[in-house]
Amino acid sequence: MDRMTRAAAQAQRSAPAETKIRLVGAAKTFRVRGSELEALRPVDLEVGREEFVALVGPSGCGKSTILNLVAGLMAPSAGRVLYDGQEVTGPNRRVGYLTQKDTLLPWRATADNIRIALELKCRATPRAEASERVAEMMDLVGLKGFEHHYPAELSGGMRKRAALARTLIYEPETLLMDEPFGALDAQLKLLMLDQLQRLTQHRRMTVIFVTHDLGEAITLADRIVVISARPGRIRAIHDVRLERPRDVFKVRFTEGFARQHERLWDELKDDIAKGTDV
Amino acid sequence: MAEPVSASAPLAFAGNRFGGGSALARTLATPGGRIGARFGLVAILLLTWQFAPAGRATQFWLSSPSLIAGTLWQWIADGTLWVHLGATLQVMSEGYVAGCAAGISIGILLGLFPRVHRVLSPFLTGFYALPKIALAPLFIILLGVGDASKIALVAITVFFLVLTNTIDGVRDVDRDIIQSLTLMGATRMEVIRKVLLWAALPWIFMGMRIAVRYAFTNTLLAELIGANRGLGFLIEYHSGNFDITGAYAAIVVLVLCSVLMTELLTRLETRVSRWRH
Amino acid sequence: MIDRREPAQARDSVVVWQLALGVALLAAWEALGRSGGERWVSEPSLIAVKIWTWLGGSLYVHLWATVAELVVGFVIGTSLGILAGMIVGRSPGLATILRPIIVGLYSVPLVSLAPLFIMFLGWGLLPKIVLVAIVTFFLLFFNTFTGAERIDRDLVESMEIMGANRREIFRKVVAPAISVWIVGGMKIAVPYALVATVTGELLATRAGLGYLLSQATEQFDMTSIYAVLLILMVIGLLLSEAAARIERRVLRWRHAAE
Repeated sequence: MDRMTRAAAQAQRSAPAETKIRLVGAAKTFRVRGSELEALRPVDLEVGREEFVALVGPSGCGKSTILNLVAGLMAPSAGRVLYDGQEVTGPNRRVGYLTQKDTLLPWRATADNIRIALELKCRATPRAEASERVAEMMDLVGLKGFEHHYPAELSGGMRKRAALARTLIYEPETLLMDEPFGALDAQLKLLMLDQLQRLTQHRRMTVIFVTHDLGEAITLADRIVVISARPGRIRAIHDVRLERPRDVFKVRFTEGFARQHERLWDELKDDIAKGTDV
Repeated sequence: MAEPVSASAPLAFAGNRFGGGSALARTLATPGGRIGARFGLVAILLLTWQFAPAGRATQFWLSSPSLIAGTLWQWIADGTLWVHLGATLQVMSEGYVAGCAAGISIGILLGLFPRVHRVLSPFLTGFYALPKIALAPLFIILLGVGDASKIALVAITVFFLVLTNTIDGVRDVDRDIIQSLTLMGATRMEVIRKVLLWAALPWIFMGMRIAVRYAFTNTLLAELIGANRGLGFLIEYHSGNFDITGAYAAIVVLVLCSVLMTELLTRLETRVSRWRH
Repeated sequence: MIDRREPAQARDSVVVWQLALGVALLAAWEALGRSGGERWVSEPSLIAVKIWTWLGGSLYVHLWATVAELVVGFVIGTSLGILAGMIVGRSPGLATILRPIIVGLYSVPLVSLAPLFIMFLGWGLLPKIVLVAIVTFFLLFFNTFTGAERIDRDLVESMEIMGANRREIFRKVVAPAISVWIVGGMKIAVPYALVATVTGELLATRAGLGYLLSQATEQFDMTSIYAVLLILMVIGLLLSEAAARIERRVLRWRHAAE
């Protein structure tokens, strides 16, 4: 555990928890081929500043919908979505959103893809500095050497990592992540979880992290929100009572982890049995 | 769906899966054999044409390869061929460039403003359904018998083709990519510049490629209707004067020109797509 | 998945805009014509009157001529093209030898040979029918040929193993596979056939819409020119709609699978 992470952990414990994101009775209904699909029942959720919240639940239960609402890509059919106390009325530029499907630009090489956020006028960065940060990021996510490869030439896992680098490089204050590490093998996943924890703690990011992997959720999150399927609704919210900072590689062998896992698994397994693949 | 197949597709028939195959099949299995067979076929046709016994009337209508070759040679020697060929190519390229420029720029605009496109859509469909050659007389009245009317006709034909493809290209962009960039803080202009134009490029190129053929065809047709220069004019002039040999010679030039153009286009396309991948 | 606005409202406003635009254009045209430009642009009112007069009698002769040329030529060309395509496509020897020649010929714009046919066959309906037939023939021949060549050998063999005879294989495997290509060819051929008809008529004819067009051109009768253009536009639209409907019916199975 390095000093940087320990200091951040301390700071978090002493800072007052203001609400960063708030969903008040937010619900979402879609119109699909003439009939209505209720994706999300009214949901109340508060995410504090610099908090790491994990959303877990079976496929198709509305987890991504919640992220979309916070990102402002959708308007709620009912209720309100508040960011920093203000209602979200359009694309929310203060969040970084890592979607399930990576949206790398196929005609740009990987390094250029990662650079793109720094090219935009709203945060124009001099070329030299941008290149440096891109190199740093690529090293961080383990893509060193693939700068000139095109997305079509990368594996699924590598594309995910590139997308992650692209999102993190401009240090948004809030991070929304939709099953970012699903396609990675176990070892790489742990490495990425470790990196994510460091980065988000160091940069004091607020994170909403969607996953169906309980282990991931318990390892990283401060709170875990269990979501039930079809229609989506919050089933329970659990605090993760594991000490910070956590050793990503070893925490899964602790007793506290096991207990937390058991409790959550009991809640989830009925839902998983019921829910079928989308 | 009507794309020409490569002339060297693999031979699946030279013997079925259990071996064997006729002598013909075996000859055709070698590239030399194939070329030989084709030359043989063409040679037989030419020789029959040249030396088949026929009455005076038939001779008149049929002409003969030697006469045609003679006319062609004369055209090459005294420059007629180049004058007319040049005229056709010039009209074709000017109309093509004008049509592409207008088609791409307006296509991008309409792609960016889908509501405007939807309003205009039925009007565009109507124009699209009109056989453009019917506009030739109108353009001749409005713009004279010179190049301007022909260039206008070619330009309009190319315009509609390129327009449709460009609009499709701009609208085909993956919405999720646009969303990601917007979330990152890109302005509308930045999204257009960094995403839309790049994503639409393959469609634009496809439209431009298809348009070449139509540009050529419509240049010829315009020259048939009202012109004093060009390949189409040559065909019409000699046909009108019942100069069979001349008409055939002009057609030979047409065929050679078309084949050459298609071949060049195919090679260009292969080179371009290799670069993109 | 993003929200879409209520489609009903959006659709209504589009129609309103279209009507407004149409009316505005017609009004502007009318105004332009009346203010002295009628020698060049005519006026919608005059055009409407002219069409109305024609519909009273003299249009039908010409309409019939054009449609007859188109339909007869198309039918002949299509049938011969499909036949030839099947024969050559299923005979690998012929296919190989002829392929580059066919591909070469395909690149030639056959419509520009119109003067040749007029020279041979005169000013009547025949040269246009032949022209349309040839243009259609080549398109259908090429498409059928390509379709016939690409029949999946595995499909054919699996039917053979099941015990199907040649006729059954043809009906159950070859025909449906080729029909996709044939219908595709027909869709492309229809507008080309119209172009061929009009071109032939513009060059030399005694009857037909092209005749009306060239008459009007000689007399600088802009009204009639626009009237004919309008009629041709309608015909073009009807033809492509007909082709689209036929495609939908014939390829129902294909669309269902998508």
